[in-house]
Amino acid sequence: MVQYNFKKITVVPTGKDFIDIILSRTQRQTPTVVHKGYAINRLRQFYMRKVKYTQTNFYEKLSAIIDEFPRLDDIHPFYGDLLHVLYNKDHYKLALGQINTARNLISKIAKDYVRLLKYGDSLYRCKCLKVAALGRMCTVIKRIGPSLAYLEQIRQHMARLPSIDPNTRTILICGYPNVGKSSFINKITKADVDVQPYAFTTKSLFVGHTDYEYLRYQVIDTPGILDRPFEDRNIIEMCSITALAHLRAAVLFFLDVSGSCGYTIAQQAALFHSIKSLFMNKPLVIVCNKTDLQPLDGISEEDKKLVMEMKAEALKTVLGQGGEAANDEGVLLTMSTLTEEGVIAVKNAACKRLLDQRVEIKMKSKKLNDCLNRFHVAFPKPRDQKERPACIPQAVLEARAKQASETEKRKTERDLENENGGAGVYSASLKKHYILANDEWKEDILPEILDGHNVYDYIDPDILQRLEELEQEEGLRQTEDADDDFEMDGQELTPDEQKALAAIRKKKSLLIQQHRIKKSTAESRPIVPRKFDKEREFTSERMGRQLSKLGIDPSLAIERVRSRSLSKRGRKRERSVDATGGEAMDMDADTPSKKLRARSRSLSLSRSRSRSRAPTEVTPGDGFKDSTQKGSALKIAKKSTKKRNKNARRGEADRVIPTLKPKHLYSGKRSSGKTDRR
Amino acid sequence: MLLNHSNALALLPKTPLRDMAVTLMLIHQPQGDYIELHRKRYGYRPDHFERKRKKEAREVHKRSSIAQKALGIKGKMFAKKRYAEKAQMKRTLAMHEESTSRRKVDDDVHEGAVPSYLLDRENTTRAKVLSNTIKQKRKEKAGKWEVPLPKVRPVAEDEMFKVLRTGKRKTKQWKRMITKATFVGPSFTRKPPKYERFIRPSGLRFTKAHVTHPELKCTFNLEIIAVKKNPNGQMYTSLGVLTRGTIVEVNVSELGLVTPAGKVVWGKYAQVTNNPENDGCVNAVLLV
Repeated sequence: MVQYNFKKITVVPTGKDFIDIILSRTQRQTPTVVHKGYAINRLRQFYMRKVKYTQTNFYEKLSAIIDEFPRLDDIHPFYGDLLHVLYNKDHYKLALGQINTARNLISKIAKDYVRLLKYGDSLYRCKCLKVAALGRMCTVIKRIGPSLAYLEQIRQHMARLPSIDPNTRTILICGYPNVGKSSFINKITKADVDVQPYAFTTKSLFVGHTDYEYLRYQVIDTPGILDRPFEDRNIIEMCSITALAHLRAAVLFFLDVSGSCGYTIAQQAALFHSIKSLFMNKPLVIVCNKTDLQPLDGISEEDKKLVMEMKAEALKTVLGQGGEAANDEGVLLTMSTLTEEGVIAVKNAACKRLLDQRVEIKMKSKKLNDCLNRFHVAFPKPRDQKERPACIPQAVLEARAKQASETEKRKTERDLENENGGAGVYSASLKKHYILANDEWKEDILPEILDGHNVYDYIDPDILQRLEELEQEEGLRQTEDADDDFEMDGQELTPDEQKALAAIRKKKSLLIQQHRIKKSTAESRPIVPRKFDKEREFTSERMGRQLSKLGIDPSLAIERVRSRSLSKRGRKRERSVDATGGEAMDMDADTPSKKLRARSRSLSLSRSRSRSRAPTEVTPGDGFKDSTQKGSALKIAKKSTKKRNKNARRGEADRVIPTLKPKHLYSGKRSSGKTDRR
Repeated sequence: MLLNHSNALALLPKTPLRDMAVTLMLIHQPQGDYIELHRKRYGYRPDHFERKRKKEAREVHKRSSIAQKALGIKGKMFAKKRYAEKAQMKRTLAMHEESTSRRKVDDDVHEGAVPSYLLDRENTTRAKVLSNTIKQKRKEKAGKWEVPLPKVRPVAEDEMFKVLRTGKRKTKQWKRMITKATFVGPSFTRKPPKYERFIRPSGLRFTKAHVTHPELKCTFNLEIIAVKKNPNGQMYTSLGVLTRGTIVEVNVSELGLVTPAGKVVWGKYAQVTNNPENDGCVNAVLLV
């Protein structure tokens, strides 16, 4: 549905404001700093941007004006004609046309000057061209100043037009000036139209809304119409004519039977007949107003005849719609807006007839047929006279009845009260809704003071729960204890097994003991190398003994150990001599035997793990006389670093090269510099 | 039927709430001259005129604060507008003010009237007349070539031309591009690039000029027929360069000028009065 709302058109600035807006915008939104020394391309770009930007702004603003103002050919003919009557179509179109021309001219100017700027060879020249371009654009706008002013006025006026929806249910009130049209609209709607006792109080269309059968009706009050040729009518009258001509509405033709408006019934009838062509195909109601001054029955015979003639005409329009000739109620009505007599009747009649007509048209229209085709309500044909009621199982019926009775039976507190003597007599017991473990306790009385203590101080609502928790915990602990108790007692074992068990336990404790001794003596010192194993604990004999005790023949193992023994391999120096090669051997008389060589080769295949030494142990090459000397030296060294370590200062040990191969020196392409500094 | 606000509300059960909603919806939009109507009914608010007077009184201060605060282009625009207003105000005041200053009474002095102490020097007068006539004659003789802009700034060659480097290695420098606006006749065809010494870029070609008739004081956009003379030299004339002071021939057939003999004049000379390459258009004064 097209909404006609002319309130949203943006303000059209005057020519001067327009120029100011655009130029200041260019100044603010484009760069402003430029120097002679810039490359010429940059200079050209700078000024071209200014020209282009100004042009786009002009274009956008002018386009907005052209787009926002309604095009008279596109909108509903009612609005088209109304705008024509009010503002003159030609003038309106001309103004918009001028805006359009200006828009094109500005675009052309910008194009020309941008082309010229491409040949600019200095800052001065580019600047001159920019100034000329903007100046010419502004001149164009200055020239359309009057059009802009005209459009602004139209905009302001259009914003005040009532928002009439040409397609909705509408009631149109028309008649001679001063016959009570505005009074009527004030009565039936909330519209606040000025009512004055002179002609042409209402100078434009007014809209109000009323309600009939839950539907909204738009009521339009029109200015009065005089009976004169179409060409002579003024703008105010033309508004009414436009509304009459284009809106599909129920028309209320107001007739002042008293003639206090200054026009006789004959004159009003003449008007009716001259504009009756506008009433074609519209529900028409002739309303005789001001019956408080002059009842309809009291008018003269001639006037009555005229009124009847008008009624006949109005009936014709009913016939034109295919209505029934006999149905002449709601065509001629009387009312008085002063006493509010018959006002609602007039409104209802008009609304009803309009609604009937609209429904009829809708029913006739093709669209409705399309919709109706989709509806189908099926009524199966009865094939015989037999009753076939719906089958409901007996159980379901019973259940339903029971449920119904149950729901009925639910007793409220109020029912109880009424049963037991009514208000004031019955006292509701709060105790009966207590939630307790045992229903019998409900009525029990709880003492407040017991043995000189306030009972309430000793009430712990959670006590049962706590107790339960405690009990649970206890149970858990007991089961755990039972688990711990489970241990192998010697009772169930055979004597052999008992002996074995004792042996295992003894061994175990022995091992633990040994371990502890070792721990205490050697402290955290790792395994001592074999050559410092002074006690000679780990001998192959001992191994053989133990293995044989376990029932294993130790000979092979012992042999293997012996074959790898270092003492049999020989000393380091001898080995190195041996390794120097076979030629030297020939010269040397006392070379180690062949046997030794063979052994050394086998030794090199695998080595035993190295072991750390005690710190005071003197190793050859240390430069110490004996272990005491080394010990004292170590002591002095420790003492010297002690203070530093205590203060957490950096010592010798903290010397470090953080990254040996810093990434930035080793990765990527190399230019000048080296890998250690660049 | 379409479901819009009104009939949607109709579907609701009839409650006071619904009635209120309908009422709210029906509160009409402003229409017509609602401000005037309100004033007619209820008059102005009691302090209306007081407020108006105060607002007017404050106006001066407000404007001054704007004038002090506005910066940049807004400030400039404001100052210009205000200056124009003030000047106009002063002018009108002066016009309406009764003149108190004494003015010289300028009686109608006949032409050629001499003060009494010179009355006997008739001979000198005669000599003066003679010399004047001679001057006049000379002037007339020279007047044939008198133009509105007698002197123009000479344009140096390197300002007029831009050297284009050509050749595969861009070493040759014999080609020139004209940096000023030019007129190129409609029948002109370019030479092949190999032989084309002077290039007149099409973006800088002009075929129309805004010509002002000095006596009629109005301007016409006329077509240029030819360049008659460029003050900077013959070469520029033949190239059709339009600089300030150049004499061009324009097509005045639209103006309907007639010679004393009764023939319609269609070509007339005009002198260019602006720098077309800077302004993007050619302005000229018709030589009559």
